[in-house]
Amino acid sequence: MKPGMRLRLVLRDLASGCAFASMAVSGQLPLWTLALYGVALVCALAGFRLFAKRARLTALLLLGVAILLALNVLNGALNIVVAACAFAGLISGHRLLSAPDPATDGQVHLSGLLMVAGGAALSGELVYGVLLVAFGVLASVALALGVVEAAVPEGEPVPVRSVMPPLATGVGFAVAGAVAFFVFFPRLNWNMTGPRASPGFGEPTTGFSNTVRLGGAGTIKGNPRVVLRATLNPDPGVTALNAYWIGRTYDIFDGQEWTTAGGVRREREAMLTLRPGGDSLVHQRVELLPAYGGRTLIALETPSRLGNAFLNSTTGSRRTFLQELSGGEVRVLETGLGYSYEAYSLPPEAGSGDVFRRLPPLEQDALLALPEGMDPRVSQTAARVLNGEREPLAAAQKLATWLQREYAYTLELGGNVDDPLADFLFGRKAGHCEHFATALTLLLRTQGIRARLATGFFGGERVNDGYILRAGDAHAWTHVLVPGRGFVTVDATPPANRPSQGSRLLERLLALYEAVESRWRNSVVDYSFRDQIDVARALVRPSQPDDAPAERSKLPPPRAFGVALVAGLGAYLVWRALERLARRARPLEATRFLDAVEAQLATARLPRAEGEPLEELHARLTRMDHPLASTLTPVTRRYLEARFGGRPLRPGEAEHLLRALRRAVEHWRREADKAARPPSEPRARAS
Amino acid sequence: MSPRLKQRWARLRAFLRPPRTLKVTRVGRTYLVVTFGVGLGALNTGNNLLYLLLGMLLSMVVVSGVLSERCLRDLTVRRVGTDAAFAREPFAFRWAVARKQGHAFALTLAEADAPLAGEGGVGYLRAGAEHLVRADLTAPRRGPVTLTGVRVTTTWPLGLFAKTRVLPLPGTLLVYPRRGYACRDPGEAVRGPVGDAGNPRRNDGTGDVTGLRELADGEDARRVHWLKSASQGKLLRVEREREERRTWVLTVESGLAGEELERRIEEVAAQAHRLLDEGHDVGLDTATQRLRPATGIAQERHILRTLAWLGFEAPESDEEAAA
Repeated sequence: MKPGMRLRLVLRDLASGCAFASMAVSGQLPLWTLALYGVALVCALAGFRLFAKRARLTALLLLGVAILLALNVLNGALNIVVAACAFAGLISGHRLLSAPDPATDGQVHLSGLLMVAGGAALSGELVYGVLLVAFGVLASVALALGVVEAAVPEGEPVPVRSVMPPLATGVGFAVAGAVAFFVFFPRLNWNMTGPRASPGFGEPTTGFSNTVRLGGAGTIKGNPRVVLRATLNPDPGVTALNAYWIGRTYDIFDGQEWTTAGGVRREREAMLTLRPGGDSLVHQRVELLPAYGGRTLIALETPSRLGNAFLNSTTGSRRTFLQELSGGEVRVLETGLGYSYEAYSLPPEAGSGDVFRRLPPLEQDALLALPEGMDPRVSQTAARVLNGEREPLAAAQKLATWLQREYAYTLELGGNVDDPLADFLFGRKAGHCEHFATALTLLLRTQGIRARLATGFFGGERVNDGYILRAGDAHAWTHVLVPGRGFVTVDATPPANRPSQGSRLLERLLALYEAVESRWRNSVVDYSFRDQIDVARALVRPSQPDDAPAERSKLPPPRAFGVALVAGLGAYLVWRALERLARRARPLEATRFLDAVEAQLATARLPRAEGEPLEELHARLTRMDHPLASTLTPVTRRYLEARFGGRPLRPGEAEHLLRALRRAVEHWRREADKAARPPSEPRARAS
Repeated sequence: MSPRLKQRWARLRAFLRPPRTLKVTRVGRTYLVVTFGVGLGALNTGNNLLYLLLGMLLSMVVVSGVLSERCLRDLTVRRVGTDAAFAREPFAFRWAVARKQGHAFALTLAEADAPLAGEGGVGYLRAGAEHLVRADLTAPRRGPVTLTGVRVTTTWPLGLFAKTRVLPLPGTLLVYPRRGYACRDPGEAVRGPVGDAGNPRRNDGTGDVTGLRELADGEDARRVHWLKSASQGKLLRVEREREERRTWVLTVESGLAGEELERRIEEVAAQAHRLLDEGHDVGLDTATQRLRPATGIAQERHILRTLAWLGFEAPESDEEAAA
């Protein structure tokens, strides 16, 4: 094995691994293919080429795998695209374990290309982009080393270090070129069928069920996984939104769990209007991520309209319809990995605007319903705390304040008890949001104040231009029916415990990833013809800031700096090119120098034989001890060196030598003329 | 059109049509097919990730072209040649390649438009240093081979395309006939050993000095008698008696042509090689030329050169330009 070949093979194998990982991040490949490929990659990296001797026989294994995948496809257990990608990965794995030769290398790189193309079809994750670049770099270096290795004669080392700098420059330019192509190549179609969602790894952890059950054992985990992304209009612009995002409400509590009276209200609608809106509605563009796991739509409290819903799956997005259920719940009709939709909500400070009499009769009755056999101390406690307060909102706030003061928040569950409410109020005196919300709701009802339980999320963490919600932001609170305002939110949970209770470091890391992912999604995955027009417009006519002229900076706009920088760079490059051109050895310079010398010597009218070269003339003049010989010596020597000795004339050297020769020739001509002039004879003077 | 204008026009045409040829390799063909497929997929689905991948693939093609172009720029190649090239036998051939500035990678050198099989390679060419590239070439037949230039090819950086540039470098390589197995005996020697006594008419031995004569072309300069040469103003060589060597004059009969001639030439070459190797004097008689019997490597070269030129128009000078 030549020195450097081992490195090339490792790079080749790693490139293949990156290509496979670009598909695997979609989470759609069967686990057994992941395992098989993983084993093949590890063996290859360790240098065990298990199939080196029986490549054809072992290729039969691929046939078996192909049959297995085909059966899965026919059974409907596997998507055909996923099956094709998995098969490409296994082919690559087989080739990794084969003896390394140029044909095998080509097949590994080809299967790698197919895998990254498959990854583009399966996944839209940011990780895919990283793996794509990693594959490009690793495969390029491996290919380049292979090319050099093939040209290096047997026994000589492969110049690995020398290969790297120009190749790195080339790959850098290739990545820049890819970005430029991506930005400027016109998108010829408007519909995007790229993957909008992939299942990823791990089960969804939230979602809504038909009931909220108190009790249970264990600890509620503060899950930091992002389940929802939303952009708001008007944008509040705050870092922490601290808003209530409602999913649904519950009316009936049987002592253990909350349920809702009534069933499906509207079966199949593209747009659902829950309550009349106004001029100051908050528009939300919401995306529910695969980690959410439910079909219930979430919107800022209090939602007025929901619609324009799309179902996101591994194969793309398609429009879907909505269903309205009791409890104000809106569901998507079909099940997908994720959903995107639009919602309009009333401003947070306003109530829901619901009027008691217009509520369905079942719901009217349920708003004051109490569980059978409820502990009488609940009612007594409520009366004691309220101390005659009958105004619903004031009473609710008074009770909420009392609960926050007297009770502790804990994520530890109390276990299954007969009366979880009494256990919370009079036993453990600690609980989580559902305990606080249940307690407040029932305390109010015991005093004849209508209330219900609402569940959803609390919070909203700003990432780029939007907000995200985590699974750990799931929350429960109370709706109090206030005459003239409708249902108003009152939260009994201590304010410090309302947001997610997960690890701050983990949340920050995930927020950072989400910010980058958001940029990736907006700039790459969702890049469209409209964005291209915006880019072109920004280049041609940059947007002016909305600031008043007084606030405008006195400095030139950034565009001017950019243009100046580009112009400066261009001028520098032109200067460098001209300098290089000036320094370049001119062709036939020695011959031209000889012509100039010959011309000078011609003026000297030296007797010369036909075809006598300069060196012979110089030798002859030296033998004759001619006055020009000493001047001609450096001229002849430099001419011969420049023409035949590989030592070109330095800049200005020819002029210098010619100048000296010209002076010598002129001097010699003057002397010769003087010598040739007849001596002046003495004239007779008449005396 | 004035000559100056013509010259400028020719320069412009040469600039617009650089002497490069581009050939797609096998890996490159597959790469292009995949690129085409990805492009179709991107246009058909609108998947931006496929556009990104397509951009990457196309950029690599462009970068590959630029880097390979940089490799072939400013190259100078000089033929170092070979010691002896025999037909249908691999012979070592050398080029000296250099580059004024910048590095070059994965260069393959071969003779352009010449019936010489084989090529030499250099993995890394440092700027400013002359690199000697060796190759085992094979010529299909004897005789002068006209060399027009050296073909420099690179597949740098990714092996997708083989870019070739032909550097004009005219020359001639004389390929000697193959020294095959001589089936026939060279026949009777013209002169043989005459017992233990020296023969005064055989004057190239190691015995006593028999006289002086003018040094002929190709004769060993060590035989020159420098004192006498200096006094006479011409090179004179010493002749000495010989005792043991025989003399053969090999003949290529006139009237032979085609395959018959080639076979006879190869046979004569083989006989000459064997006889000279044994230390005998060998001369050559062809229809057009006659070589005086002599011994040594120089004589073998004379014989091979004469045989190589048989049937071709011999050059005025006796030197191979390329070798």
